[in-house]
Amino acid sequence: MKQFSKILKFELMGYMKNKVFVGVTIFLVAAIALVMFIPNIISLFGSDEGEAGDAIGELPVMLISSDTPELSELTRVYFQEAFLDYNVVVADGDIESVKDQVISGEAECAFVMTGPSSYTYYVNNLSMYDSNTAVADTVLQSVYRMNAMIEGGLTPEQAGAIMSVTIDSSVTTLGKNQMDNFLYTYIMIFALYMVILLYGQMVATNVATEKSSRAMELLITSAKPSSMMFGKVIASCLAGFIQLVLIFGSAILFYNINKEQLSNPLVASIFDIPIDLFIYMIVFFILGFLIYAFLFGAIGSTASKLEDINTSVMPVTYLFIIAFMVVMFSMSSGSVDNAAMIVCSYIPFSSPMAMFTRIAMSTVPWYEILISIIVLVGSVIGVGFLSARIYRVGVLLYGKPPKLPTLIKTVFKG
Amino acid sequence: MKLELRNIEKSFGDKRVLKGVSLTAEGGKAFGLLGRNGAGKTTTIRILMDVFGADSGEVLFDGEPIDYDRVSFGYLPEERGLYPKKKIMEQLTYFAELKGMSRADAVSAIDYWLERLGMTEYRDKRLDTLSKGNQQKIQLVTALAHDPDIVILDEPFSGLDPVNAMLLKDVVKETIKRGKIVLFSSHQMNYIEEFCDSIAIINGGQVVLSGDLNEIKRNYPRNRLVVRSPENQSIARELSDTCELSEDGELIITLSEPRQKPSVMHRLTASYDIDEIKVFEPSLNDIFVEYAESQI
Repeated sequence: MKQFSKILKFELMGYMKNKVFVGVTIFLVAAIALVMFIPNIISLFGSDEGEAGDAIGELPVMLISSDTPELSELTRVYFQEAFLDYNVVVADGDIESVKDQVISGEAECAFVMTGPSSYTYYVNNLSMYDSNTAVADTVLQSVYRMNAMIEGGLTPEQAGAIMSVTIDSSVTTLGKNQMDNFLYTYIMIFALYMVILLYGQMVATNVATEKSSRAMELLITSAKPSSMMFGKVIASCLAGFIQLVLIFGSAILFYNINKEQLSNPLVASIFDIPIDLFIYMIVFFILGFLIYAFLFGAIGSTASKLEDINTSVMPVTYLFIIAFMVVMFSMSSGSVDNAAMIVCSYIPFSSPMAMFTRIAMSTVPWYEILISIIVLVGSVIGVGFLSARIYRVGVLLYGKPPKLPTLIKTVFKG
Repeated sequence: MKLELRNIEKSFGDKRVLKGVSLTAEGGKAFGLLGRNGAGKTTTIRILMDVFGADSGEVLFDGEPIDYDRVSFGYLPEERGLYPKKKIMEQLTYFAELKGMSRADAVSAIDYWLERLGMTEYRDKRLDTLSKGNQQKIQLVTALAHDPDIVILDEPFSGLDPVNAMLLKDVVKETIKRGKIVLFSSHQMNYIEEFCDSIAIINGGQVVLSGDLNEIKRNYPRNRLVVRSPENQSIARELSDTCELSEDGELIITLSEPRQKPSVMHRLTASYDIDEIKVFEPSLNDIFVEYAESQI
């Protein structure tokens, strides 16, 4: 136990004195500060720019053209109401000049009406997200229906009332609102993904470096392999946690300082995480980190050269990426309770991500959560001791990394 | 203090590395563990230090199974290496603390040893800025700083210049004088001969020869004479069938009976100009080659 705390302290100091570690943390905190303070900074200079320029004049131009001036003018009036971020103008010229204006960039797009309910849309580069035609369709449909109703004998007021009827509705969420929790689930999964891959690699490299520098020869005779393994992995976990606390802590701090300028509901929802979810996040984060860090550490101990690590860690990396993919696809599909996710939420290598996602975005009975956590805790301890055994065998093997069956045989024999 | 290994057996996979190794080392004496490359020396040392267990056999300290919490080891591995990128003081205290020292004790012990080895100026330098020999001296501190009961030195002299070798010799002699058990493993026989009272030669995982070095030498048949003389050639002609000329110009005369020694000595000193004549004692090198030449 005493050795463990010495190793923990030494390894942790190693991270804290690592210039890259410190540099990256400072950079990220500074970047977050910059982003958070930008609205404030802009608003300081903003008052000067307020009066400058004609607002309409800066909007992109949308041209309307048709055979009859009446149709053009009528369409222009309706479209101006529907396209608030365009300056809708009736084109004066034939189709060719309209096209030229679109190509030259004078106008962003053009509607050439061939009748009250038909048109051609001209645009230079059609963006993936261009919804102008859909809006135009709706507008033209409404106009057509209005006209039809008026011709059928209704007064314009009656027709207007029919067209503008609104449906009163309300949604009461009895379980979880996926929208609310989507963002921090997303952030947590991504943070876990990044931290595990980065720190896992660091743990593996750390062990392999000790081995390749032969410091291991002395270490292995000075400390118990289990103390070494647990000390290293828990130190890296603490280092990762400290880094995340610094980054997210400063984000929360800067957010609260600049709260008024950052009145974006999406941003607000990130900092409005329910406390129980926050606790689950920490529990799954730590356990998930540990189980992978042990695996990476064990792999590091079987490599005798640093170059071997990249290939050796591949199976674990793939395992992790597959778990990540399952969770990510399930999240974006919206059905987080599908069969794959349910299975994944009990497998210790995927449960930190899968179970957390399910807790955040769906309703999971307490006993399922409990089982998942118990399985995970048990596996962390099991993998921890197994990796310490692999470590003990692995650190004394030089040369080619051992084949998996040989390794398993040696580990369980001695 | 007395350290005993009894019938240690160890296999890695199908390969039997140690086949019943037994040896005894005592406090206040140095013990030489010899063997060719791959004979099983490092495996023996690792079992002794509990890096892994033996398949069978036991390690005894003062007649009882060794208690690794009580008996402390200092180890200078043959494969040297510490943390290249860390400061010397920082890593030396770490290793001393791992061996159970308090921080304050560790710092003062390390300062003493750095001073003793003339390394004080490097205290706050990074290890990889030091020369190989100096790195080795730093590593020696990890083996000695915590004042261990048993000191294991694997090839301690390799890579040291004569001045540093002298310094290390003094340190080793001092450690032996303080009653510690010193275990030497080396291929440099002259050092083993200089320090070690008893030796064990391991060949193919077995101890093929062990015991007190002087006794081993005495037990060699004493039927050979070494003669140094300006008239070597004439002597060689006279005793052509029983003598051979060694590389360094000495004549080695093999007698059929050890009892003939006085008469032959008399005869030679009477008829030739003799600088030196003595009974031939094999060097450790000769003994080693004889016992370890053929790999078992």
